[in-house]
Amino acid sequence: MKRKFAAAAGFAVAVSLSLAACSGGGDASTEPSGPVTLSVSGWALDTTPEFQDLADAFTAQNPDITVEVKGYDATEYNTLLTADLAAGSGPDIITQKEVKFVPTFVEGGQLLDVSDVQLPDGISGASSYQVDGKSYAVPYRNDSWVLFYNKNLFEQAGVDQPDGTWTWKDYNDAADKLNAGLAGAGSAAKAAYLHRWQSTVQGFANAQSGGDILAGDYSYMQPFYERALSMQSSGDQVDYNTSAANKLTYQGEFGKQNAAMMPMGTWFVATLIAQQASGDADDFEWGIAPIPQNSASTTGLDKTPVTFGDPTGFGINANIDQSKVAAAKKFLAFAAGEEGAQVLAKIGITPALLSDSVVETYFAVDGAPTDDLSKFAYSTHEVLPENPTSNKAAAIQGILNDMHSAIMSGSVSPADGLKEAQARVASEVGVG
Amino acid sequence: MAITAADAPTRVVTPKPAPPRRRSRLKMRNTLIGWSFILPNFLGFGLLTLVPIVVLFYMSFTNWNIFGTANWVGLANFQRLMGDGSFRVSVLNTLYYSALHIPLTIAVSLGLALLLNNKIRGVAFFRTAAFFPYITSIVAIAVVWNLLFSPEFGPINEFLRFIGIANPPGWLTSPDWAMIAVVIVGTWRDMGYYMILFLAGLQTVPRELHEAARVDGAGIWQRFVNVTLPCLRPTMFFVTVMLTINSFKIFDLILVMTEGGPGQSTLVLSQFIYRKGFMENQFGYASAAAVALFFMCIVVTVLQFLWNKKRSI
Repeated sequence: MKRKFAAAAGFAVAVSLSLAACSGGGDASTEPSGPVTLSVSGWALDTTPEFQDLADAFTAQNPDITVEVKGYDATEYNTLLTADLAAGSGPDIITQKEVKFVPTFVEGGQLLDVSDVQLPDGISGASSYQVDGKSYAVPYRNDSWVLFYNKNLFEQAGVDQPDGTWTWKDYNDAADKLNAGLAGAGSAAKAAYLHRWQSTVQGFANAQSGGDILAGDYSYMQPFYERALSMQSSGDQVDYNTSAANKLTYQGEFGKQNAAMMPMGTWFVATLIAQQASGDADDFEWGIAPIPQNSASTTGLDKTPVTFGDPTGFGINANIDQSKVAAAKKFLAFAAGEEGAQVLAKIGITPALLSDSVVETYFAVDGAPTDDLSKFAYSTHEVLPENPTSNKAAAIQGILNDMHSAIMSGSVSPADGLKEAQARVASEVGVG
Repeated sequence: MAITAADAPTRVVTPKPAPPRRRSRLKMRNTLIGWSFILPNFLGFGLLTLVPIVVLFYMSFTNWNIFGTANWVGLANFQRLMGDGSFRVSVLNTLYYSALHIPLTIAVSLGLALLLNNKIRGVAFFRTAAFFPYITSIVAIAVVWNLLFSPEFGPINEFLRFIGIANPPGWLTSPDWAMIAVVIVGTWRDMGYYMILFLAGLQTVPRELHEAARVDGAGIWQRFVNVTLPCLRPTMFFVTVMLTINSFKIFDLILVMTEGGPGQSTLVLSQFIYRKGFMENQFGYASAAAVALFFMCIVVTVLQFLWNKKRSI
């Protein structure tokens, strides 16, 4: 009997312990004022210093508020964060890594309405966090796509460097000339490199021809695909299949001077500077130019080129302790404002707010390009969101990604691929 | 003759009648001790396997998107699956993969086992070498095979061109050949593991049967068909069941080699579930697809059991 009792008691203790663990949290203390500690979610903290730098700068200004960064794995960020939120142990401030997850968080009631946080004029990316007219996060970082080019290779090939007036046709023509010039100069480099992501074609098509992926009609992408394929067949850039088979990286292709031009996001600026300093990338002169445009009406230094990019933002956990809300909103305003932008620009990160002084700080980094065109490309553009804030975006992007690999690998023609994707979006997502 | 030998492992052992009950307290005590022995394992199984499976079945009838409540939607998810083109493609691709992968792997691993069951010089080395792919990191495998399959510069196509094939296949970049390329890699990876199972099975084939057959004048092929294969039936049954389930569940290889592409040409069922659940946050719908996969595995396994039982009578 003793044994039985002991077993039963042990079982009861185990059950009650696990139940107690489940019911932890919940009743929050409502004590106001005094020192506050906020937790912020971040990822890959070793290589992503932005969270800690923002936290430190904020605490220096507000000694009463301590900000703790909670690290997550970068690739599994959304899955892990979702698990924490579902368990009720999420951070106070939820960093929004990908816009396509915002609708899930909002519909799940995980984010606080932060429409009353004041955003500075000229900030980009705020619309990505609006659902039904309310803001659920503030953007603090907003990379956009530009054209990286290798000045040494342009000189070697004897081709004029980009001047901010290029359309995609000019880009193709320059690539042809570069290819001939580089071959003539005995260089094995290609004119351009187009990475395998769907955004390298579709992102520009969406932004520059007014396309809306939620509308279900994708015919506007056809000229963009035809151009990309023609550059492949003429040998101006490594073809998709070779890139996929050899798992080429865009850092390697541009950093090792295998390509003279490359469309890429501004996050690569910091990477390239770091890799040139460490010797992982070759030492060469480079710059960034505005991304080529679909229509000549947005080219030239007196116009605003159109590009795309998705912001990174901070939202507030809907289950946050009431006494912390004011402090959390203060942090959001700080991160999105001029001071936060300065902190980010100093470590080579593109803030959502690009004021003149922020741009100056950004280009003061050792190893950054110094020419005026790079500054123009970096600071002057209209950034349209890559992913619409909709709960259908993820499914549609998945279908468009299948289409991208089918078209770029040469399995289907652009026209057939687009038609098939359109039919799939209509039948599987119910759009169009 | 062979049939009796093959019969032994599958015969059901009827339990002995319980000894006359002495004292119920002793029995209770023994039961408790027995339970406490299996409790740790059973707790792990219950918490990590049984409960999630039961929850999965429940979730497949809801529209859960991870947050908030899971609303009961009845059979709506399954109705949607029936009309979902991608689901149909993924089921067909999974069956296509299995139809190629199962017979090919059995043939290759059995062939290897027969070869390495002989007394040849360095047999231990060759056995280990054949097992290497199975313990190699899947990511490394994918990178190397991707290079080998490269349509323009890959060694495989270089070789095919060398022996006079003007237009070798595009392998992973061609929708017609991508699945075949994955099957080749899958077979190469799995052959060592199943070879070990077959090798173990071959040890149970009685030498006397072979000798008797040889005395009766049976050739090497006749001995293989009439002696080795029937004696291997229990092993063959186990291998087939495991291979079928593993082929239906194929996921990692596809993810690292093709990600389902080009287009949807290598989209398999597990990947469909992963996409719907973890990329599109439709956990209810993904659960319904997982339940469909579960039943596919169950039905085929039950059929295999029935067939095996019929053969063993």
